[in-house]
Order: sequence, then structure tokens, then C-alpha cells
Amino acid sequence: MIALSIAAVLAIFLLYTSIAGGGTPSIRPSQLAGHSSRVSLTGVVVGPVTGDAHGSGLRFLLRDRGVAKGASRVAIVYTGEVSEQFKVGREIVLDGTLKNGAFVGVPGSLLTKCPSRYTAKPQGQ
Amino acid sequence: MPQLGRAALVVSLALVAYALIAGAAAAVTRRRRLAVSARNALIAAFGSTVVASTVLVVALIRHDFAFTYVASHTSRALPTRYAVSAFWGGQEGSLLLWLLVLTGLGAVAVWLNRRSRDLVVWVVPVIAGVATFFAWMLVVVASPFATQRAPFDGAGLNPSLQNPYMVAHPPLLYLGYVGLTIPFAFAMGALLSGQTDERWIVATRRWTLIAWTALGIGQLLGAHWAYQEVGWGGYYAWDPVENAALMPWLAATAYLHSVMIQEKRGMLKIWNVILVSLAFCLSLFGTFLTRSGIVSSIHSFTQSSIGGWFLGFIVVVVVLTIGLIFYRLPLLKTKTRLESLVSREATFLYNNLLLVALCLTILWGVTWPIITEAVSGEARVVGRPYYDFFLRSFGLPLLLLMGIGPLIAWRKASLRGLGKTFAWPAGIAVLTGVVLIVLGAGSSTPGLIAYTFSAFVLGTIGLEFVRGTRARHSLSSEDWPRAFSSLIARNRRRYGGYIVHAAIVLLAIGIAGSSAYQHVTDKKLARGESLNVGPYTLTYRALERSSNANATEVRAVLDIRRGTQLVGTVRSGKNSYTEPAGTVSNEVGIHTNYLTGEDIFVIAETVYGNGTVSFRVLVKPLVNLIWLAGLIFLLGSLITLWPDAREQRRLATRYAELGSGASPAR
Repeated sequence: MIALSIAAVLAIFLLYTSIAGGGTPSIRPSQLAGHSSRVSLTGVVVGPVTGDAHGSGLRFLLRDRGVAKGASRVAIVYTGEVSEQFKVGREIVLDGTLKNGAFVGVPGSLLTKCPSRYTAKPQGQ
Repeated sequence: MPQLGRAALVVSLALVAYALIAGAAAAVTRRRRLAVSARNALIAAFGSTVVASTVLVVALIRHDFAFTYVASHTSRALPTRYAVSAFWGGQEGSLLLWLLVLTGLGAVAVWLNRRSRDLVVWVVPVIAGVATFFAWMLVVVASPFATQRAPFDGAGLNPSLQNPYMVAHPPLLYLGYVGLTIPFAFAMGALLSGQTDERWIVATRRWTLIAWTALGIGQLLGAHWAYQEVGWGGYYAWDPVENAALMPWLAATAYLHSVMIQEKRGMLKIWNVILVSLAFCLSLFGTFLTRSGIVSSIHSFTQSSIGGWFLGFIVVVVVLTIGLIFYRLPLLKTKTRLESLVSREATFLYNNLLLVALCLTILWGVTWPIITEAVSGEARVVGRPYYDFFLRSFGLPLLLLMGIGPLIAWRKASLRGLGKTFAWPAGIAVLTGVVLIVLGAGSSTPGLIAYTFSAFVLGTIGLEFVRGTRARHSLSSEDWPRAFSSLIARNRRRYGGYIVHAAIVLLAIGIAGSSAYQHVTDKKLARGESLNVGPYTLTYRALERSSNANATEVRAVLDIRRGTQLVGTVRSGKNSYTEPAGTVSNEVGIHTNYLTGEDIFVIAETVYGNGTVSFRVLVKPLVNLIWLAGLIFLLGSLITLWPDAREQRRLATRYAELGSGASPAR
């Protein structure tokens, strides 16, 4: 009986994940080309950060994590809450879609990773 | 000094490796003196690990930056208490803490159970095996005693971690993770020695409870910290790292319930071994998840090669555990069968299935990016809707069962008995539901169901206390308060358990209230302007600026009104720190109504040069019940944990019977 019940439960959630489209693709800026639907983008903030997140939109660039200069970058436009941890060099996760070459974030979906410690690395590395 | 630390760790590694090999050899060849020697080696390993830990603590206090670890995680300006907390602020220190707690708990556990020789003989090598892995990591892979030319100052600790919560939260989680090793080791010890009666369960009940309580309180502290300090208005984000702590807690919760069935009815033996192994493996998996960086999380830890080692260790543990369970399957068969689907056993079984299902769905969600990346080459993530869906689907029935389980009859419950037992609680629940609908709580169906079920559970718990107290009062002619306290004191497990249940109900009410019935408003205000949120009007009255040596503080002052009546004033703003330069922290304003448990949570998102401020205001009904639940949870756990002489005597008699009468299979 235990086995049967567990199997039933497994079936339900497998069904759910497949019906719900199996989640949002989680990708890096360099993989963004060709994605026209909603994705979850993970990358490192590159300055300058301009604009207003509570007005016309916060604008900045995003690059892949762990890749030095010369990596592909994507322009971001975002409105909504911004964490106190947000700044140039921090890693963020943002949901949104690519529109006319810029990635438009879903309002309120910006997550900034809190670094567990500070390391004295020069910026941009 | 670093040499002393390194040497102490090498000694620890040698001792636990000896305890593993000699302990296993002693168990196989049945040599008692060798077994005692292995046990002593495990206890001694705790001593040498204490030495290594002391070296690190002293280095942290003295700001000895020649230790790479100290330089990377502290700075001169860091107060001593936070410098000490850097012990678990980084990876190497965390591993050392793990080994320290493991050898410490292991030493106490094998010493306390030294008389049950046949059981402990295999426990020693199992604990030593786990300890050997951690000691190996500390000696070979990630030494906390690496040295360097001392820099002038260290890198420092993130200001948001310089907080009492962050001093207590990680070690409590570690105590929980590591504590789960003890019941796991006793389960494996029981399987290896063939002593599969319920002694291993009785011997580890308190250990599981301690680990489970620490894990629960640790998570709530983390949630409270996130709520007050991170300031986005929530307390749990279904982040993989948060889930990593929740999963073993759920598995341990299931285990704590199912062992009662084995104790009373001798059923579910295989299931219990599987659950305790699952809880232990999930605690290892949690560490792997946070350290390997394999899935993206808002918590970023130092990422390094230790992920691979952990994965290897998990695979070894899983394979050995499954192999052992299959090998001992004949011993784990039970004669008792489930007699009815409406009985206490059955209810506990449903509770177990729901808890495990919830645990596995979370695991599925957490590993989904890894699975999809392996299958299709592109990682996909599941978000909040996925987790919320399953929390509701499995959590609400669990809530209901919490009311039914403790009161329903063992073996087979009759319909008439059910009616008699549950008439009052069901009545209370229905009445609560109707009143809530009248009050307008029908706006959220899951919320309404959660509240109705909560009323039902609280009704059953209240009734139990009333019935028990009344019985004592009339039997022993004690006065009412004395009857009440002796009721609890004489049945600590039962009534402590009810108190924990009441805490979980409060938690459910708090979660349902603050999520299903919350109001949110975003608005940009100039001075003198107002915004409406729920039943309240907030007026932005003034902007205050102040400076101290370390930071410039900006606070917007808002008056909160309900109708025309002034409810209170709240300050919300930002601190800009001079050191580390450019660091800004959100200082949210929270206005708490202690009578209703409601918070008005004000975030000043952006403060513009002209004094205009973008506000985000949340009204979170009943959210404070979550924190109150933590305190009650702790109280209930302490009551169940408190030593009980009568219970010990009962168990001693039972052991004597087991020892003489039913000789366990070998």
C-alpha cells in the first residue's frame, strides 16, 4: 500500500511539472539569443546602472558569471523592488523576456544574491 | 599555532579511522576489548577536535591574519562576538564545526548506551565512518589552518551577517544536520548487528528530537532574520538552500511519528529505517547543494571542489544503506498488519505519506534544474507556484490529520467512537468557518480551509487538556492548576507533543494569514501625500537625516491611520555605510499590533534627491504568530525531551523482558 500511494503521488507531481511546462528555463546571458519566451536569467551586474526602478525602469548590463571581460552582455530594463544588496559586480537572478534586443524584467522578480563574505577583488573580475 | 591545529586534525583523522576499522573488526570477530578500544578512540577524537577548534577560535579572537581563514572572513574592526561567529562563516570552519559536533554527540551517545553492548558495537564504526569523511576533508581537501603572509587587515564580514540571528542560525542548523547522524548510526548499527527490535529507536528518540528541534528553531531564526533584515516583506522564498534545511526536517518529522507505531505495534520497521536514512542523506545533500553551487540560489556560499567529494560520499552512503536494508529484509518483516484504514496506525501512516510526499516534491523541485540540464541540455527552474501548490495539497490534509491522529483509537476505530471524540472539535471548526465567512475571510479558499482545520486541531488539543486535567482533579483531589501541571509532568511525551502541535497550528495560521490575506501597495509619495493599503491610510510626514561615524541614515516618517484614528507612526529608510564603502542597507519600518499579531511593513524602496520616496507597504495579518509558534515549539520540545524517571523504569523493565524472553534473531 505504501508503495502504491507513493507511486500515485509521484505520478501527480510528474503530471503537474509536465503540464505546467516544466518550469522556466534558467540560463546565462550568453545563452539568451534565440529565446523569445519567458526565462530566468542569472548573471553578474555590469555598470553603469542608470534610470529609476520605480519610474521608467532601471537599466544596466548583465554578463555571465565566472567569465572575464569580452563575454557577451545583455541590456536589462527592470521596474519593481530592488534589494539593498543590488550593485555592480553582484550576481542576480531575474525573470523576463527578450524584446528588441533588450531583456525586459518581470516586475518584482529581481533577486540579488547575498555574498557570504567580502573578498577584496578588483571590480569586473 | 597553525601547526598545532593541523596536528590535532591529523590525530582526529587517525583516531576516527582507527575507530572505524577496529570497531568493525571487533564487531565481526566479537572481540570485546577491541570494541571498547574503538569506542574510546571515538571519544578521544572529540578531544583532539576540541583542540583544533580552540586553535581556530583563538586565532579568530586575536585577528591572526596569518591564518588564511581568519583573513578571509574577519577584519580588525569586527567585534569579538562576530569574529567568533566567523568560525562557521566559511567553508573550512563549517566542516570543522561539523566534525566537532559529530564527535561530541557521537561520544556522548555511545557512552550513554555503553551497556547495550550488542547494539553499540556497530554504532561506533558507523559514526566513525561519517567522521572519517569529514576529518579527511579537513586534513586533505579544505584545511582551516592554511597559512599565508599576514595582510594588514582581513576581508571582513558582510554587515547583514553581523547580527545576533546570524550568530545562532548556522550552528543550530548544523546541530540539526549533524544530530541526525546519531539516529542514522543506531539504525545502521541495529541492521548490522541484527538487533532489529525497537531498542535502537528508544535509544535515539531524544537525539532525533534534539536534532529536529534545533533544525526547526534554526530555520525559524533564519526566517525571522530574513523578515526583519533583508526587508522584502517575506520570510521564506523556497530557495534551494532554504529547502535544503526543510527537507531533512520533514523527513525527521515523519520519522518521529512513525517510530511511535513501531514502539506500540511493532509495525513499519523497514519504513523507519528508510526514513531515518532519508533524513540523514538529505542533510548531506543539503550541504552538497549549498557548497557545490550546482543550482543557483540567492544564498551564495564559497564554491569549491568539495561538492564532488560530498556527492561521492552521498552515493557511498545511499548504496551501502540500500544494500544493508535489502540484506536485513527478512529481519525487518513484521507480523502485525494494519487492521483498519480508520485507526491511529492508519492516520499516522497517512501523515507519513504526506510528509514524505511533500519532502520528495520539494526535492524534485530543487533537483529539477539538474535533471532538465542533464536531459535536454538546458536547465529549467520551478518557481513559487510549484511549491505553493504542493504545500497546499499536502499541508492542508496534514493539518487535519494532526487533529485526528492523536485522538483516534488504535487498531480499529468505530463510527460511534469517532462521533463521540470529534463532535466538539468538529463543531468548533464549523462554527469558526461560518464566522470567518461572515467576516469576509472567504476571499481565499485555501486560507479559509487552513483556518477551519486549525480551529479543529486546536479544539482537539484543548479538549485533551481539559479532559486530562478533569480526570486528575477528580482522581487525586489536586486543585486545578496542580492537576494541570502534573498532567503534563506525568505524560511529557504526550502533552509536550500536543504543545508542539499547537505551535504548528499557530505557524499554519500565521503563514495562511500573512500570505493569503496580505495587502500590498506600491506608491511614490511626496511629503504630505498618502497611500491606502488594506484598511489603513499612511501619510508620509517628514524625512529625517542623521550621520554617525559609520553611516548616514535616512528615515521617512509615516503616520498610520485607520479611518480617522491615528494608529501609530513608523520610520523606514536606508543606511549608507562608510565602511565597506558604498554599502547600503534597507532599514524597514515595522508597526506591530501585538493584540492581533498584524504587522504593517514599510519599505522605502528609493529615496529621491527632492525628498520623494517610493514606498512599498505590506499589511501582513497574523504574521507574528509564526514567531510565537517558534517559542511554543521550543517549549513543547523541551517538555518532551525532559528526562522522565518513570519512563526510564518502564523501558528498563521492557528491556529485561526483551533480553530474557523474546531473544532477538541473529
